[in-house]
Amino acid sequence: MPSNAAHSPIVLREADALRPPRGHALLRGIGPLLIGVAIAAVMQWGVGPFVGTYVARILLDVGIAIILAVSLNIVNGLAGQFSLGHAGFSALGGYAAGSITYYGSLILWNSSVKHGGPFGAGEWLFVAACLTGGLVAAGAGFIVGLPALRLRGDYLAIATLGFGEIVRVMLQQTGDVIYSARALEQATVNDFFPPPLGGSLGFSGIPTYTSLFWVYLFCAVTIVVAQRLKFSAAGRAMVSIREDEIAAQAMGVNITKWKVRAFVISAFFAGVAGALFAHESGVIISPGDAGFQRSIEIVIMVVLGGKGSITGVLLAAAILSTLPEFLRDFAQYRMIIYALLLIGMMLLRPQGLFGNHEIWDYFKRRRKSSS
Amino acid sequence: MSSAPLLAINDIGIRFGGLAAVQDFFLHMPPRSLYGLIGPNGAGKTTVFNLITGVYQTQTGAMLLEGQPLGGLPPHRITSAGIARTFQNIRLFGDLSVLDNVMLACQLRAKNRIAGTLVRSRASVGEEAAIRMRSLELLDVFDLRARADEPAQSLPYGHQRQLEIVRALATEPKVLLLDEPAAGMNSGEKRQLAQTIRRIRDEFQLAILLIEHDMELVMEICERITVLDHGVTIASGPPEQIQCDPKVIEAYLGVADDEGAEEQSSKGAEEK
Ligand SMILES: Nc1ncnc2c1ncn2[C@@H]1O[C@H](COP(=O)(O)OP(=O)(O)OP(=O)(O)O)[C@@H](O)[C@H]1O
Ligand SMILES: [Mg+2]
Repeated sequence: MPSNAAHSPIVLREADALRPPRGHALLRGIGPLLIGVAIAAVMQWGVGPFVGTYVARILLDVGIAIILAVSLNIVNGLAGQFSLGHAGFSALGGYAAGSITYYGSLILWNSSVKHGGPFGAGEWLFVAACLTGGLVAAGAGFIVGLPALRLRGDYLAIATLGFGEIVRVMLQQTGDVIYSARALEQATVNDFFPPPLGGSLGFSGIPTYTSLFWVYLFCAVTIVVAQRLKFSAAGRAMVSIREDEIAAQAMGVNITKWKVRAFVISAFFAGVAGALFAHESGVIISPGDAGFQRSIEIVIMVVLGGKGSITGVLLAAAILSTLPEFLRDFAQYRMIIYALLLIGMMLLRPQGLFGNHEIWDYFKRRRKSSS
Repeated sequence: MSSAPLLAINDIGIRFGGLAAVQDFFLHMPPRSLYGLIGPNGAGKTTVFNLITGVYQTQTGAMLLEGQPLGGLPPHRITSAGIARTFQNIRLFGDLSVLDNVMLACQLRAKNRIAGTLVRSRASVGEEAAIRMRSLELLDVFDLRARADEPAQSLPYGHQRQLEIVRALATEPKVLLLDEPAAGMNSGEKRQLAQTIRRIRDEFQLAILLIEHDMELVMEICERITVLDHGVTIASGPPEQIQCDPKVIEAYLGVADDEGAEEQSSKGAEEK
């Protein structure tokens, strides 16, 4: 290939001169994450203790739904690859993380219950498990992303839906959970094939580490990552694929690379969300979590929020994951109301709450038109 | 012409089923040349562009850019090797802003480290600022800077064609392929475009290959012209020679006269 090394690209000639001052860059770099830590701390110690377990539980679910929806939005909204397998990635992450904390605790501390206090050894094992769950899901995202390169539209949706169902069926085939440290010691190789993850009954006994702090911290990280991707070369590359693959390639976008990247990044956060869900108290993860019904719920959040709009999707996730609670009194009409809301939405605003825009775009526009 | 050509296309071709859309297409372009590619509707002109840019793989022959073979490269690699194009049926990223359309093309020459993006490293912020600055400069080629923040799809048709050219230039090409850039323009706009194309060639030091139905425009600015008919090159040479080539006259009269072909094509383009 002819190289451009001989004369450097024109576009980069000013790049070094345009670098921001060090301190400023550092602040812009870690500032949003510090805000995230602050919000997580407020949720944990400022809100959590005062709202009662019922509301706290809803807040956990809202946070997890936001991670799921914002991450799906990367592959679905930005890159325009219609994936119906998000719950599959999430469940994989949940099972991977759950088996690490559950069996890890049995081995390390002879018991599967929560070990140590806030920021104690047990909690760090949990954080490591969440990240590992994310990596396992990301690996699966890579494997699913590869065939996705050849598939478009409906076919991709069907393939990813198939992926979720495969995960579900595979999880159903797993064996009984090994219930104690002693049983684990005496277990033979046979007890690990199939892996002891609870089969169709679900994986019970996972220690309940998930707290508002960790959920909202991971939530903040997800949002910051999504936001930085969207407003960068990476985001433009992904959106160009959504808009027109042929033109994207003609502009030098390696669409193969970016589709796979979108799947991998998106799946990583789905895995983290699954891990957080698996460690929530009162939750027993089961193969059904990978099923397509759960995937559709997340897709609806993205569709409702607007393709590519981070704030829109965030809002939609918060609304749609609390809505069922408000509609509990009309339990038998719940699904109907839900469906009507969606149909109304599709008729009135088919582009979603915010279309491609972020919430602040509307404030900017109003200021502009009023001045 | 005897010195090494910038772009050497040797007898490329493709068949779609029974139809030989392009056969043995041969073209050598020296640096900073401005060549034309003409022919009646369906002659295979756009297909030649699709072959050069890797949208279709040629089934025969070879292509070399600065002596390096392009055969078998995927389209994005051909763009980074230095060949950019515009599309006859405008293919902008409609939802993206005018500026973002250009920035996307501009970023091809940047490093774009994803880790740097995620931690917002100084290098990545500087690079993004440089991409933005360069893109805004490029919008000035056609006075589009004032519309930088509008969605590309909201631009009037003529501006969309101009934006396509700006976007192609942003990839820092050595060869620029323009597919009917004057379609749908009135004669005043065409005159202006002719000047801009010349200016682009000089300023950016490119070789330009131009597909155009407007004979006046092509004859005025192109140094050499290749004429296609039914996928076959029926003539090739300087404008004066092409103008009185009996084969060329026959090809055009056989389908429709000059004016007719022109009208047809601009109508077709507008429909898209
Ligand atoms: N992908 C394809 N599959 C089948 N046939 C094709 C394909 N692309 C082009 N053709 C055919 O190849 C021939 C040449 O088409 P092409 O678009 O290159 O013509 P053109 O010279 O650009 O015409 P116009 O002036 O109308 O733009 C046409 O008969 C067209 O129908
Ligand atoms: Mg054409």
